[in-house]
Amino acid sequence: MRALVVCPGRGSYGRGTLGILQDRSPEAAAVIDACDGWRQDHGRTLLRHLDAEPAFRGSLHVAGQHASLLTFAASLADLAELDRERLEVVGVVGNSLGWYTALAAAGALPLEDAVELVDTMGHYQADGALGVQVMTALVGGDGQPDPELRQAVDDAIAAARLVGAGAWWSIDLGSHAVIGADSEGARVLEERLPKLTRGERTFPVRLPLHSAFHTPLLEPTSARAREDLAHLGFRAPDVPLIDGRGMVFRPRWADPEALRDYTLGHQVTRPFDFHRALVTALHHTGPDVIVLLGPGNSLGGPSSRILLWEGWGGCRTREQLDARQATDPLLLSFGVSLQRQRLVRPT
Amino acid sequence: MSGAVNRAAIVDRLFMDTVRQLVPGPRRDDLDTPVRPGTTLSARQALALFEVQVESRHCDFAARDLKTRGEGFYTIGSAGHEGNAAVAAALRPTDPAFLHYRSGGFFLARAQQAGGPSGAFDVLRGCCAAADEPIAGGRHKVFGSVELNVPPQTSTIASHLPKAVGHAVALDRRARWEGRVEDRVVACTFGDASANHATAQAALNTAGWTTYQRVPCPVLFVCEDNGLGISVRTPQGWTAANLRNRVGIHYVYGDGLDLPHAWDAARLAVAHVRKTRTPALLHLRTVRMLGHAGSDVEQLYRSDDEISASEASDPLLATARLLVEQGVLTPDEVLALYEDTRARLGALAGEAARRPRLQTAAEVMAPLFVHDAEKVHNHVAIAPDAERARIFPRGLPEDSDRGRPLAFQLNRALHDVLAADSGAIVFGEDVARKGGVYHVTAGLIDAFGVGRVFNTLLDETSILGLALGAAQAGLLPIAEIQYLAYLMNAVDQLRGEAGSLQFFSNAQLANPMVVRIASLAYQKGFGGHFHNDNGIAAVREIPGVLIGCPARGDDAARMLRTMVSAARTCGRVCVMLEPIALYHTKDLHEDGDGAWLTTYPSPRESLPVGEVGVYGEGTDACIVTYGNGLWMSLRVAERLRRNGVDVRVIDLRWLAPLPHDAVAAHARAAGRVVIVDECRASSGVADTLAAELHERTGGSVPIRRVVAPDTYIPLGAAANLVLVSETDIELAVRDIVGEGA
Repeated sequence: MRALVVCPGRGSYGRGTLGILQDRSPEAAAVIDACDGWRQDHGRTLLRHLDAEPAFRGSLHVAGQHASLLTFAASLADLAELDRERLEVVGVVGNSLGWYTALAAAGALPLEDAVELVDTMGHYQADGALGVQVMTALVGGDGQPDPELRQAVDDAIAAARLVGAGAWWSIDLGSHAVIGADSEGARVLEERLPKLTRGERTFPVRLPLHSAFHTPLLEPTSARAREDLAHLGFRAPDVPLIDGRGMVFRPRWADPEALRDYTLGHQVTRPFDFHRALVTALHHTGPDVIVLLGPGNSLGGPSSRILLWEGWGGCRTREQLDARQATDPLLLSFGVSLQRQRLVRPT
Repeated sequence: MSGAVNRAAIVDRLFMDTVRQLVPGPRRDDLDTPVRPGTTLSARQALALFEVQVESRHCDFAARDLKTRGEGFYTIGSAGHEGNAAVAAALRPTDPAFLHYRSGGFFLARAQQAGGPSGAFDVLRGCCAAADEPIAGGRHKVFGSVELNVPPQTSTIASHLPKAVGHAVALDRRARWEGRVEDRVVACTFGDASANHATAQAALNTAGWTTYQRVPCPVLFVCEDNGLGISVRTPQGWTAANLRNRVGIHYVYGDGLDLPHAWDAARLAVAHVRKTRTPALLHLRTVRMLGHAGSDVEQLYRSDDEISASEASDPLLATARLLVEQGVLTPDEVLALYEDTRARLGALAGEAARRPRLQTAAEVMAPLFVHDAEKVHNHVAIAPDAERARIFPRGLPEDSDRGRPLAFQLNRALHDVLAADSGAIVFGEDVARKGGVYHVTAGLIDAFGVGRVFNTLLDETSILGLALGAAQAGLLPIAEIQYLAYLMNAVDQLRGEAGSLQFFSNAQLANPMVVRIASLAYQKGFGGHFHNDNGIAAVREIPGVLIGCPARGDDAARMLRTMVSAARTCGRVCVMLEPIALYHTKDLHEDGDGAWLTTYPSPRESLPVGEVGVYGEGTDACIVTYGNGLWMSLRVAERLRRNGVDVRVIDLRWLAPLPHDAVAAHARAAGRVVIVDECRASSGVADTLAAELHERTGGSVPIRRVVAPDTYIPLGAAANLVLVSETDIELAVRDIVGEGA
């Protein structure tokens, strides 16, 4: 089966995923070892230790300097356990931090270099987040896109700008928007954005300890990364790799400099359009199944909505997708235990 | 079909078998140096283009598989033409490209250049007529994309070339007005067989004519020469002999079977156009593989040796050989790419086949007749007072109560349109200094300058091509065709191109325009057929075109405003049939009564589509007519009134769509209908009106038709023998009134 691999962003490592790095297969352990090797060399708390904490602590586990590599390691550990005999990886796409994971997953960056990239970017935030991220919903109660909600985001951003505050689209998940802002911008956003309840979640919500990634507020971070990480060994990926603009880096001939430039530039300071990225990945690679790496299943909702909007696999309604999921799943997530069993190599 | 399918298998196998036997050169890691000495094509670019070439080939294979499974409907492919990918690479994604049906490599290369998904899924959805195919929405399999600046073409006969020339001229002209430097190049591709088509020849001629006068025309013609037009061979050397020495067109030869050669040639040709703003023609050698289409049994007209020779020249093999010999790829890597692509496109084809199709006639036609009456009404633009004072130095025309004839009021309305819309341009034969044969465009050049009011060469195809291209450049073309009979040599530019763009682009693209045509007969014996043509079928059968035929000056002004607004707001293609005989008519019933003169309607006033002109409230009968028929019918009605027969006269004004609702309402009120259609019986609107009316009234309203016979119009007084006359009309009314009494 043709599998499109999707790598989640930083918010995926959460309360429910604590312990995910423990007792893994040798292949997964090798990934975690590589990460902890780097952490050890740089005197940083080992991922295995963080992951083995008795309880999840937001201030610890959500902090960028830890959450970034925890997420990366958990994702790649899952990929290491993928049953590649049955599931041929035909493309890789990520969301936000998941782009770094995708680089490694697609072979566009050696594992060691990817670890350095992720942990370095994460540690830039150790001194405190640069700006904030505010999340809101873009779909109505029926799960369908609501153009008025999208307009409300644009309007709120414009309102913030009018008073001289900073606010920008950060991530477009299709079903949700993440807006990056400075503190004044965030205040305006929270005041202006409609109060929504979707399932058990209420919006807008501020993402704790998240810098305003993918916005111009991160220009200094980008500049610093270009200097600190100039040596990373980017190369053409082994499989098509789709970025947050919906651009495809092709195997064999993708320009390493273009990869470096995007990763340390645009990806850091300009919006990340996950919706477009996933649609591009579908249209380019023609997958039979979409594989969501862990930790957690944060992209499950947004991804399934995008699949429905696309009518992928002939599924145009939630009922059709549910029926398909019950027999011949279109979407399989490592973060959902029953689905995980269908993904991992038999032991 | 089986023969063609077998060739696909042979071509497929030949590629794999040959690649396996290639001897790799020493491995090279630096992809950013020339792929071989003497070319500017880097190994990285060659790899990228090879990927596209392979993708294009597998699109062709997949299209045939889809057809075999009953899921696809289009098998004309690009096999053998994949070298055109190099042309796309030499251009920029912002350069508009009008592609013919074998430019799959070009299309996929442009998608690749833009960086997004490969474009193959779009092509395959096109083959499956999927309703979510992004350009035509399941209406055709075309190469097209709004994002990629590839307007969809259906052309198999080079009918898109005049518009490419027109677009090139319009881009630079517009930039000059706006004080910008334009650097885009307009590309168009076509085959060697269709290079012989009159339309292609017209475009080449016009490009040369334009350049000869030092008017910028940055167009790149790409003739993809495979030596065959379906089964007919192009004479050896003919294409080069024909195209090499065109006045004003720089000729470049490129070998599309050798990627670096094609690339270097394309680069030179593109650079020439971009820099000099003059045309170039890239003569690109290709071969045709897999037959004309999936259904074509090539063996019927080509020997096996000839077919095999084409297959041995496979451009994919040539690129594979190059990459292997230059140490860029190993044979195994080539085959892995080839098989990966096969699997990928196979999966995408399967997904394309699952996509929804168009389900209803309404869905099919949705983009065809885009018309928002309210928007059209509200968008009628008026220039600022100062500008109107400038163009009407003797006072605003609506302030004068002096009656004027049709041509005069139309002239004023054109002044107002050009003053209000800075993108409006007027062109045609003799429209500039002469002011048109009938002076409808008199003075416009003085008011608006030669940049916006200009003469064209004497070729209707090129006039309409310019209208198409200018419209796509965001201008509002108002083209004049000097006589209706002259439209006929160029009508495909309206029918196949202008009228179809909204349909084949699912209303994402439009070529709004107003085409004014001096039309119809009654010129007192002068001019013969070609100046009196009364056949309009060729225009009115074009789906989606808005056709008006004003009979009076005030109507003409208001209808022109409606058309301009419909073009601007709804992208409509509008045709105004202007009755030549009424251009300067002053009187109606008696000499000197001035009853056909009108004042100039307030510039805010438009005339809604479907609104008919109503003359009288007579209940004895209703005459339904238009154009010269209105003038005659009103005279007849007056005579009948004096004889106690009270007839109302309805002026259709709009001939497409026909105002059936209004006609039916008046028919019911009057009880009897005489349709007076000055056109030839088989060409006009009478049959349609009568049939529709009969169906709507259940046959309860008697109907008579007064139409001209199906003949050409002779010179001299004999013309009157074959034109609808007032006597014919009067007899018909008396007949129907007598019958009903």
